[in-house]
Amino acid sequence: MTLLSDFTKGLFAENPLFRLVLGLCPALAVTTAAINGLWMGLATTFVLLGSNFLISLLRNVIPENVRIPAYIVVIASFVTIADQFMFAFIPSIHAALGIFVPLIVVNCIILGRAEAFAAKHPLGPSVMDGLGMGVGFTAALLIIASIREIVGAGTFFGVSLFGPNFQPAIMMILPPGGFLTLGILLSLINYWEDRQEQRSRYRRRRLAQEGHHHA
Amino acid sequence: MPEQSLFFLLISSALINNFVLIRFLGLCPFMGISRHLDTSIGMGLAVTFVMTISGAISWIINEYVLIPLDLNFLRTIAFVLVIASLVQLVELVLHKASPGLYQALGIFLPLITTNCAVLGVALLNIQELHSFVESMVFSVGAAVGWTLAIIIFAGIRQRQELVDMPPVLRGFSSAFISVGLLSIAFFGFSGFLSTS
Amino acid sequence: MTLSFILPAIGVLSGLGLLFGILLAYASKRFEVEVDPRTKEIKDALPGLNCAICGFTGCASFADAVVGDEVEITGCTAGGADVAHRLAAIMGLEAPDVEPQKAYVQCGGGIKEVARRFEYVGYADCHLANQVGGGPSACGYGCLGYGSCVPSCPYGLIKINEDGLPEIFLEDCTGCGACVEACPRGVIALLSEKNTPIIACISQDPGKVVRKACSVGCIACKICERVCPQEAISMEGNLAVIDHEKCDNCGICVEKCPTKCILTRQLAVMAAASQQRAV
Repeated sequence: MTLLSDFTKGLFAENPLFRLVLGLCPALAVTTAAINGLWMGLATTFVLLGSNFLISLLRNVIPENVRIPAYIVVIASFVTIADQFMFAFIPSIHAALGIFVPLIVVNCIILGRAEAFAAKHPLGPSVMDGLGMGVGFTAALLIIASIREIVGAGTFFGVSLFGPNFQPAIMMILPPGGFLTLGILLSLINYWEDRQEQRSRYRRRRLAQEGHHHA
Repeated sequence: MPEQSLFFLLISSALINNFVLIRFLGLCPFMGISRHLDTSIGMGLAVTFVMTISGAISWIINEYVLIPLDLNFLRTIAFVLVIASLVQLVELVLHKASPGLYQALGIFLPLITTNCAVLGVALLNIQELHSFVESMVFSVGAAVGWTLAIIIFAGIRQRQELVDMPPVLRGFSSAFISVGLLSIAFFGFSGFLSTS
Repeated sequence: MTLSFILPAIGVLSGLGLLFGILLAYASKRFEVEVDPRTKEIKDALPGLNCAICGFTGCASFADAVVGDEVEITGCTAGGADVAHRLAAIMGLEAPDVEPQKAYVQCGGGIKEVARRFEYVGYADCHLANQVGGGPSACGYGCLGYGSCVPSCPYGLIKINEDGLPEIFLEDCTGCGACVEACPRGVIALLSEKNTPIIACISQDPGKVVRKACSVGCIACKICERVCPQEAISMEGNLAVIDHEKCDNCGICVEKCPTKCILTRQLAVMAAASQQRAV
């Protein structure tokens, strides 16, 4: 049960992008098209899995005072693997993602999970944590990228949705559009959170009232 | 003229292609530190220092070690090693040489390692095929632009703390919308320098 | 498939790693700073919030100052008596005579109880509101309800309730006094935890004025002073004051107060108090 919760917490409760607000640089820079967001998410998931796996395995071996450089070297190695793989097999996506592929090294999510989780937990939970965070991050990237692509270019995964006469809001695929999209999405999440809080408060009050009636 | 193009480079990296507002680099610490003005200034100074020096060292290693040995795929690992070591070194030296500054910067020093703008500058210098001097100018410009953006943004956020706001916009939501507007404002620089 | 890059790759990375490793090892020796081992122990004993209430820039600076004998070990008020005792143990000093205190809100006049003199339009900050014509509240002494105390608490224990009054989660309160400083009207005070009643009013206005402004303020009728068997209540100006040393918590004053401005210690958490008043 806890293995599953290690995975699912990365999807909603501790979604790295919407809740922990980490990994912002790639989240806004590459989400100009849904396909780019998807591949960035997959690459990050791969690196997260690999680094969590290795760091959890080596957690009792790496000395305390060199742990940060050690983690960084591990993460950088996996990033280089992902970088070379994408360069070889999907060169057009690799070109679109640009310097943000090597920048996965300093993606705060990966170093953060390595230090906060993988360094202190055994192999199984660490891998599930990495997987959950990666999938949650990918989903978040897809949401942002889809919105920006549909409104900003009129396409979805390259497929034109509204025909040739559609005037897209180009600002959406420019930097301000990225910031505004994320800001509005975060406000929707705030709204949803408030509704949850209201509902549970209402439920509690009703329960208290019913308690009084019975007494 | 080489001097004019260096000036172009400086203005371009600082304002026209501002690192955080247009290029999306260095966003995590930008959003995290910008709640108070004085901490933002401290972070900006620290970033400027590390960015400039790491840019120089990364360029040298790339030019004289990686390219001759045809080891371009090691660039990421090598650069990140340089940055991590440099930050550690700066921490050590500062702790001894200027304890006041060390205390003032506090935890921001180690945080610079994960600032994607620092690694981004190093990588962009290579991608744009800058010479050594151009790399230095580019790094300084990038750092100045980043610092400028975070100081402006900290000023905005400090005022937003006191304002009556709809509850759905609390926290990072209003912050991101504000950055979006700031980004639009910085687009005004794109017609700044005409090349005619 | 030539793998001729493997050896140079290993060589370069190892070389770089070795070079930086040696450089950093040399630097850590050359730039070594004399660190008293007690400093780390003290830093670990502190709450670690970097709230700066002690006046230093963070827990690390305070720890340095304690070891450097620049500050009293009771300086960390956010840690309270608990931390003071631990620091005394580490430094080998006598345990300080620190009585644990907690922060109590001495006002019951929220939105429902107090009239507004005018509508204040401006930043939602008690300091700023207080400067606009003496504040929008009909009572010139009581809580304004804009919550300037809320961000001052290093533990985040304060929230403004539906009546516009601060509620402090007392269980985790260490009596650091940050909220006391933050309130421009001095509504919050640090009191010992003794189970004695609290007068939820600090108004010095005469009874007639208080009656018009607030439904639960002290009107200086002196009934409490008369009925207290321990003579623990006295009038200071137009406000009743309880001597907590003399009080034995008999509760007579709570019962007899006509405006219900004296609260038992349990009701000192304001939410419960306003419910009680509704009865």
